[in-house]
Amino acid sequence: MTLWVLIGIVIKILMIVGITQGTVAYLILVERKIAAYAQDRIGPNRCGAQFGLPAALLQPLADGAKMLLKEDVVPKYVTKPLYILAPWIAIVTAMIGFAVVPFGPVGPNQLIDFQIAPNVDMGLLYVLAVGSLAVYGVILAGWASNNKYAFIGGLRSSAQLISYELPLGMSILGMLLLAGSLDMNQVIAWQSQNAWGVLVQPLGFILFFTSAFAETNRLPFDLPESEQELVGGFHTEYSAMKFGMFFLGEYLHIITVSFITVILFWGGWHLPFLGLTPESSGLIDTLLKVGIITGKVFLAILFIMWIRWTLPRFRYDQLMDLAWKSMIPLALINLVATAGIVQLVRTYWN
Amino acid sequence: MTSRNAAPDAPAAGGRAGHPWRKRPARFSMSVMDAAGPVFRVESPAAPLRRGRDAIGRPVRIAAPIVRTPPSIRRLAMTNQPPVRPEWTTTIDPILQKELERYVLVTNWEKLLGMVDVVYNWGRRSSLWPLGFGLACCAIEMICTASSRFDIARFGAEVFRGSPRQADLMIVSGTVTKTMMPLIARLYDQMPEPKYVMAMGACASGGGPFKEGYNVVSGVDKHLPVDVYVPGCPPTPQALLNGLIALQRKIDGETIVQAPWYRGGVERDVPIPALGPDLVDLRTVELAAERTAQGLIEKREAGLEKPRLIPAPTADPVDPPPAEAPSGKPVKKPKQAVARPSAVWLGDAGLAELADRLNAELGAGTAAIVQAGLLIPAEKLVDAARFLRDRNPIRYDYLASLQSVHYQDCIEVNYHLDSTSRPGSLILLRVRVAEAEGEGELPSLYHVYRGADLQEREVYDMMGVRFVGHPELKRILMWEGFAYHPLRKDYLEPYYEAPTKVFASRVDEGFGRHVRAEELNPHGTNLKIPQGFKDWASLSGSNDPKGEAPLPGGVQVEELESDQFQVSMGPQHPSTHGVFRMNVRLDGETIVGLKPVMGYMHRNHEKIGERNTFLMNFPFTDRLDYLTSMGNNFGYALAIEQLMGDEAKPPERAEYIRVIMAELTRVASHMWSVGFLLNDLGAFFTPALYAIEERELILDLFEWASGSRMMCNYFRFGGVAADLPPGWLDRCRAIVEDRLDRKIDELDRYLSGNEILLDRTKGVGVLSAEDAVGYSTGGPVLRASGVAYDVRRAAPYGIYDRFEFAVPTGRAGDLYDRYYIRILEMRESVRILKQAVRKIPEGPVLAGKKSYQIKVPAGEAYGRVENPKGELGFYVVADGSAAAYRYHVRSPSFINLTALERMCLGRTIADVVGILGSLDIVLGEVDR
Ligand code: SF4
Repeated sequence: MTLWVLIGIVIKILMIVGITQGTVAYLILVERKIAAYAQDRIGPNRCGAQFGLPAALLQPLADGAKMLLKEDVVPKYVTKPLYILAPWIAIVTAMIGFAVVPFGPVGPNQLIDFQIAPNVDMGLLYVLAVGSLAVYGVILAGWASNNKYAFIGGLRSSAQLISYELPLGMSILGMLLLAGSLDMNQVIAWQSQNAWGVLVQPLGFILFFTSAFAETNRLPFDLPESEQELVGGFHTEYSAMKFGMFFLGEYLHIITVSFITVILFWGGWHLPFLGLTPESSGLIDTLLKVGIITGKVFLAILFIMWIRWTLPRFRYDQLMDLAWKSMIPLALINLVATAGIVQLVRTYWN
Repeated sequence: MTSRNAAPDAPAAGGRAGHPWRKRPARFSMSVMDAAGPVFRVESPAAPLRRGRDAIGRPVRIAAPIVRTPPSIRRLAMTNQPPVRPEWTTTIDPILQKELERYVLVTNWEKLLGMVDVVYNWGRRSSLWPLGFGLACCAIEMICTASSRFDIARFGAEVFRGSPRQADLMIVSGTVTKTMMPLIARLYDQMPEPKYVMAMGACASGGGPFKEGYNVVSGVDKHLPVDVYVPGCPPTPQALLNGLIALQRKIDGETIVQAPWYRGGVERDVPIPALGPDLVDLRTVELAAERTAQGLIEKREAGLEKPRLIPAPTADPVDPPPAEAPSGKPVKKPKQAVARPSAVWLGDAGLAELADRLNAELGAGTAAIVQAGLLIPAEKLVDAARFLRDRNPIRYDYLASLQSVHYQDCIEVNYHLDSTSRPGSLILLRVRVAEAEGEGELPSLYHVYRGADLQEREVYDMMGVRFVGHPELKRILMWEGFAYHPLRKDYLEPYYEAPTKVFASRVDEGFGRHVRAEELNPHGTNLKIPQGFKDWASLSGSNDPKGEAPLPGGVQVEELESDQFQVSMGPQHPSTHGVFRMNVRLDGETIVGLKPVMGYMHRNHEKIGERNTFLMNFPFTDRLDYLTSMGNNFGYALAIEQLMGDEAKPPERAEYIRVIMAELTRVASHMWSVGFLLNDLGAFFTPALYAIEERELILDLFEWASGSRMMCNYFRFGGVAADLPPGWLDRCRAIVEDRLDRKIDELDRYLSGNEILLDRTKGVGVLSAEDAVGYSTGGPVLRASGVAYDVRRAAPYGIYDRFEFAVPTGRAGDLYDRYYIRILEMRESVRILKQAVRKIPEGPVLAGKKSYQIKVPAGEAYGRVENPKGELGFYVVADGSAAAYRYHVRSPSFINLTALERMCLGRTIADVVGILGSLDIVLGEVDR
């Protein structure tokens, strides 16, 4: 029995790694297409046309092939071990977060557990903890490159990521209080029985989503690599696949935060009027659940991308002010208010 | 849709025996979707890229010519020479076998390698990420290629990387100057293999119109291996796309076996050339040293006709002694133009009164009237300037322009002063110093007019006149260590041929023969080093004589150890709008020192302008501020028309056309600048590309009227080159009446109220009105600080006095005001346009006949227009010959930069990028 579980887990890991990597590659294409539409252009449409495929469907493969075969420059002046380690940190920390993310229904009576490590009690904590490790990749890259732009980029990102950890963590506490668990499946279950997180915790949602932008280095918070100021920021000195790994890491991060957003605030696999319950476990129901959750995630990702091609960027000090002077206090207020209300309800309602 | 077939008729080019599968390079055909949709086939040979040596022995990559075999011959060849079949296939139906071989089976090594190559090449051809750097005018077209109308993204090549480490393709888009060349070489070396170079435009390919300049490299291929040349000046975006397709074809022909970058022992890096007394290519340094020591340059120059020197103007206009023509006959006495510094000025009476006042206040002999200017002795200059600024009834608080002329007996430095409180009362101060090289010395006006800062440095650089009291008198356009002061009349450039064009060598070329400038120079390239130079060993590519940043005052060097560090932003940097550089000293993110470093686009406009005939110079003015060529034409035309007098008074219709063109230019330029300011603030290209859409419509109008999108060359002395084509005005009306207003509203609506934009721009980079005037800023920068100074109002030219328009001003002088003032100015421009397109009369468009040769009377003139960037002035000294004796451009972008440091200190890096964007500089004009 345990052996089967183990094999199942290994298969799941392989599948998730494969699927996410592939998705990420195509997300980059999606982003380029979105950029094109945002800017009234066509975007990539040639690559793959030779083989009769529309819409540059092979573009990610071409980019990948090129990057893999490109000369991998390690400049003389870098601190070599750290320079090589940094992109790995970036991509590994982005990957292992997926261990506890439920991609669909999870539970004892389900067909399959759509989660590598099912029903982890502190799943959310784990995701946040692992996610915040990613900053090491950025800082080390900036520091080891021995390049001034990279260095400033690294410094900025360490300050930024540390600052936004706080509102990010605090903004979800309200939701967790309501659901009464750190297990993401419980949170979804709670939402399917009561109401979506975004309705009961609107402030929490806004704070979380905003911090998520900062956590993923996306515009308007992409200061660590702000192109107009720092050329490439922390990855200025990276070429070929090492640079590609930062790229992948960034998009993996986007997928993770989108999942968390969907799970915590957009009801996970739940859609009103479909009658899906945490217990429903038929084949169709399962497929529906998986479809709904990935669909929602895709929407969240599209939204994040759309923002990137729309807004200008904050300045560094404004970013810090926003985190410390507005978002953290608001998150605290949200937490205290939620705690109070939950306590009141529990005491006087039941 | 792809077929792979080994073409049996390929020559055994690679011919290395021993490996059977290497005997013949494989050939492929691949279908490529054309822009228009139809599929066509490209045959390309398998990359016989050879390493070879060029004429003077430098290693280069030589691509074999693309050999195309017509399909009929190919089929024929195929039937004649059946490929060798492996034995196990004998049982298969021969026809099927053939088909299989053709399309599917990997039957031999060659095919396997061929398939690997297909994948290998396909990855690179589809994902060519260009290095994000632009040099000059061509870069503007490169950016347009990324805009929605052309969209380079279709080829997967829109990912412009700021870091060379991540780029595959270097598009050398513009004039390569000597100052810039070491940096381009370094960028090239930093790019990882496989890397490609595209020379975009005439300049990058061979020097282009600026080839004869002393600071211009005659084509980037003198230093780097170039893969594709894109002709044009500038190449249109379509041409660039065509170049990209050509590069893709070239890539299709490469094979992994022969790719030079995988071969051990092949050194593909190029040595970085050294900035010594001139730009020295270290690969040929021995040769250069030998030829220099032989004095070949000096020998050649001794035999050439030198530029003529004329005496400086004197108080009572005695006729200049008739100069000797080369033939020995005395030249006819040139006609004299009316003496006045500019079309609108103080006037003779006012000037006489002013001279008297100066003499009374500061002692006799302070001012003498010389040719409508005040001649002031050097030692009285500072006092006189202070008096004029602070105590004179008309406060001359604005140093409009500062330039120098090399005369026979002196170097004259002259100053155009104007008053922002009584605009239009321009005066000219003349100061004269010793003529001999390095002898001239003047008191600096730095402390009276801060705007003199960069302009004095320019005079020092170009003429060798030292300004005592200038805090930091260093070369500005050339580098420290450059051997000459190039604007002196006795400096002859390496490619010098004759004082004026058309050069004799170019006329008598004869059939089938032409002279390349390289053949005239003993070094075979644009190189000139004084014979006495001995220090060849010290030349090294790692020196950076331009970038040695002066320390800002009050900063201790020891502090550097603790928490300040210096960053060099530029010249290749996403924010610098070209090849501008800022040496920034940072404390954390705060700027504690900033020095602009320029000259990377110095392409010797003024020196070349002294040899061009007057008419010939028009296209060169296009390339000053390449976003506003019509406006530049206007200013230059005004200057020469001032000399020519009433003879060149443009007819009514031409006047209207000029205003229409100038205002359309303003809208286009402001659209661009607003868009890219937003880009600098981090809104990644989206607003910019939307703004460009409208600009494209305007460019279409320009192209229709003048034949060129960007380099219009449309104005002539006394009118314009050609009448508007039929239908032009209707289309123009449609755009002006319907589209522009809406577009401006749209920009205004979406941008001006954006929360982040407000946060980023309000209160940032404040320039007070006093400073704005003191620093001689012009245009939107000056007006954003609340000074309503607009040349169209202050010194009306053309028919601007007939139109109703407001001169909008800002209040705070911050980044937001500088952004918003441009929106307002666009609205005013549209207002003028509406009036102009309604009232434009029929009639001729040129005074007099069209002619190639124009007689310009001797004299001085200063033509000024309100260009989108600010006051653009052309100072011309004519001596009655076919070309200008001295030709100087008062460039608004350059002078606006004087205030950059002032605005940036204490702000952060992010702000600097925005502030620079709000100055809206164009490097062609900054460095000229
Ligand atoms: S002059 Fe300007 S437009 Fe012409 S080729 Fe040179 S850089 Fe390009």
